Amino acid sequence: MKQNSRAPDLRGLAESLVLYARSSGADEAEITIDDGSEFSVDIRLGKVENLVEAGSKHLGLRVIKDMKTAYASSSDLGEETLKRLIRNAVTRAQFGSRDVCAGLPSPIPQVIDISALNLYDPRIKELKAAKKISLALETEQIALADKRITNSHGASFVTNEVTTILANSNGFSGSYDQTFCSLSVGLQAGGTDDIVEDYWFSTERFFCDLESPEAIAKKAVERTVRQLNPRKIQTQTVPVIFEPSMTAWLLGFLFACVSAVAVYQKLSFLADRLGQRIGNDKITVIDDGLMPGKLGSRPFDSEGVSCQRTTIVQDGVLQSYICNTYAARKLNLQSTGNADGTGVSPNNFYLFPGSFSPQDIISSTEKGFILVRTIGHGLNPVNGDISRGAFGLWVEDGEVAYPVSEVTASGNLEKILNQVQMVGNDLEFRGPVCGPTIKIAELTVAGE
Amino acid sequence: MIPFEDHFRLSRAELNKILDIALSSGGDFAEIYLEYRTYSFINMEEDIIKETAESIGLGMGIRVLSGEMTGYGYTNDLSFAKVKKAAISAAAIASGQAVATPRRFRKVQPEASVYTVGAPLHLLDLKKKIGLVEEAYLACQRSDPKIKKAKAQFQDQVQYVSIINSEGLCVQDARPQARLACYAIAEKGNRKEFGYSGGGGRIGLEYFNRVRSPRQIGQEAAEEALKLLEAVDPPAGEMSVVLAPGHSGVFVHEAVGHLLEADFNRKRTSIFWDKMGRKVGAPVVTIYDDPTIPSFRGSYDIDDEGTIPQKTLLIDRGVVISYLQDRLSAQLMNSPLTGHGRRQDYTCPPLPRMSNTYIERGQSDPEEILQSVGKGIYAERFEGGQVEDSGKFTFTISSGYLIEGGHLTAPIKQATLIGSNIDILLKIEMVGFDLAFGLQTGTCGKEGQEVPVADGCPTIKISLMTVGGRP
Repeated sequence: MKQNSRAPDLRGLAESLVLYARSSGADEAEITIDDGSEFSVDIRLGKVENLVEAGSKHLGLRVIKDMKTAYASSSDLGEETLKRLIRNAVTRAQFGSRDVCAGLPSPIPQVIDISALNLYDPRIKELKAAKKISLALETEQIALADKRITNSHGASFVTNEVTTILANSNGFSGSYDQTFCSLSVGLQAGGTDDIVEDYWFSTERFFCDLESPEAIAKKAVERTVRQLNPRKIQTQTVPVIFEPSMTAWLLGFLFACVSAVAVYQKLSFLADRLGQRIGNDKITVIDDGLMPGKLGSRPFDSEGVSCQRTTIVQDGVLQSYICNTYAARKLNLQSTGNADGTGVSPNNFYLFPGSFSPQDIISSTEKGFILVRTIGHGLNPVNGDISRGAFGLWVEDGEVAYPVSEVTASGNLEKILNQVQMVGNDLEFRGPVCGPTIKIAELTVAGE
Repeated sequence: MIPFEDHFRLSRAELNKILDIALSSGGDFAEIYLEYRTYSFINMEEDIIKETAESIGLGMGIRVLSGEMTGYGYTNDLSFAKVKKAAISAAAIASGQAVATPRRFRKVQPEASVYTVGAPLHLLDLKKKIGLVEEAYLACQRSDPKIKKAKAQFQDQVQYVSIINSEGLCVQDARPQARLACYAIAEKGNRKEFGYSGGGGRIGLEYFNRVRSPRQIGQEAAEEALKLLEAVDPPAGEMSVVLAPGHSGVFVHEAVGHLLEADFNRKRTSIFWDKMGRKVGAPVVTIYDDPTIPSFRGSYDIDDEGTIPQKTLLIDRGVVISYLQDRLSAQLMNSPLTGHGRRQDYTCPPLPRMSNTYIERGQSDPEEILQSVGKGIYAERFEGGQVEDSGKFTFTISSGYLIEGGHLTAPIKQATLIGSNIDILLKIEMVGFDLAFGLQTGTCGKEGQEVPVADGCPTIKISLMTVGGRP
């Protein structure tokens, strides 16, 4: 499957720069090149607002000399510039400090069949601009046909194609191509002084998997109008249901706390907790980079370590941290194939689904709060504390009663994971971090 | 003279030709944005200089306007062929005939520069930069045995931009920016708390001798973490909130600034779109955005469309006076330019953005403000916030105090505050005379673009606001 015709040239460039770095005095060297192209159209109220079509390349490098590390990056891919950056990095490395954990991963044979991962849709390149614009127009048009919708943030259609190339002085040389496409619409309802707003989107690697304009528009309308005429509530501690996008948000925070980079730095409350219970037995969390066609899948990470399926939490017990090579060495563990620059990033990081339908979960709730959106900051990995602005729906006698706004939800991640009462069956891989609907026994919702 | 020619290697004749190509389908306006950026980074943790980095950003963005529509192309390959291709992509937004207009280039320059650089940091020896990092790190780590971890990071950059447009405007800017930040973890028993401090701006080395020393930055990070070890959970519910001077500027950024950005008002999605000239806040509230404050992180000599920026009065004694304008919105709204068209880099079209936003000093004695509160919270340090077009906004306190009987009592931990902006602006009862600004390390995100900003405010009393604590 030959996709990017420039890839062989760029791979040759990466390999030659590795050799140049070695000849310039680096003990080890690693070169990454991203070659991307982007198309995006934003339309609003039936007219095109922005049209972007462009491509760019970016190169990143790491050199290690005497166990000291220096990095550099450039979007100027001129040979002179790149060679200068390499020489500067070798010089600069000497000002660093010796670090026994520094260095490239040990050479490991590549075992992943890249084409079986289904990361690339050749059809995306073929899509005509007119088709992409009409998809966005159609999505917004369907949404605006609903009389309850009073204004539009617009609809967008975006495609990306990226070739990732990696070569290092331990003999690794690889590349892979991937595509993404995304259709979204944002809406407002209500009068100027009581606006409610929300959006919906679909992002996929394959154009044929994208949700239809009707489905996206209807979901965006439903999510927007259900917030009309919100009430404030009294401050109280109640059962809270997380919609899937909110479970994904919670999992994103868990990811930050199981990141081995945060753990070795003692910046996570989950440091020194491997093998211990951090949630109840309903909590099983997986990171899997090898799921065909999924948004977080990739054959190898930014250091060339093959991706894998890693059980992070099994039945509430912490089994593994998310590691790159450096953090793994610091903690005496193995890389999990999650390296991303000097940090880690999720592959497909998800909460294993349960058996309840979202409706079962709502029906089981006598009185409670459905969390549908949060805004703001307020996540503290050092102690697990959460405090965010929240929007939601009030539940009475197993049914949605009315929308609620201007509240804050606060709690603690470990307490939340220990208080999960029900896990839904509605897991969808809408992003690299995801989860189904869940119900928490109690959380504080602050209002009046 | 086309500036920074040695980086961009495009002659004036070539640039002129590119503008013609950009307008070949009948666009109203075309603009070339050339950017060259150098950046360096040092990270110290676990008592060692763990890594250093150097980065170069080079590229060009080209924009074509046609009515309300924007076409945009960019490339990091500045060969004539690739630049031409980007121009053709951008041109496609329009559909018509080119109108030939002869172009005379004119150079625009501000009268004074806001970049107060004596000794440029990008020319400073790496060893000396490492010295700054070590000073902050050690000051933090050694300030108390309960400090179990310190981390210090230094970054500096220079962003060279050239903007050439089809009206003949030709400007250049070389924007320095630096930031020294320190992070601390304090531990006591099972408690573990985090502290942060930093400093920076459009500055040179002398800033770290005269304005904020690395030692001070390190000690402040430690102090915050140590204070939080003793902090109690904040109360939950509605109560009086007093905002401390300086760091609380995030409040004005979230509650007011974003929703006065012109694009949201032109599109009528912001709650402020029909509020021009109308009262939205208490008479004690006057708000400015000023990109011309010397050395500030959010300042610039020209904006990213080549406009010389102005100190802009946004709210005068509670009444909306102006929006923050970029070129496109100003034209469509028939309003004067304010010089707030900014972009993250050459890959992004400009948007109306804030620079340095603040609430003007008021009349009240800060001590009297505190004494007027029977029970409430005093918000001192912040993590950031967010706002929606509806005016619902939050900001999160990383530390503060309880107020009981007009006095600060126990320190409190993280809490998120939420409100509706006009409701809260009307509830501002008192504004102190002690205007101050935050740490000069902030970054604002909008539509995926990040730009450096600063904000400030005096001591402020909000009579009632929802606080998300733990009862």
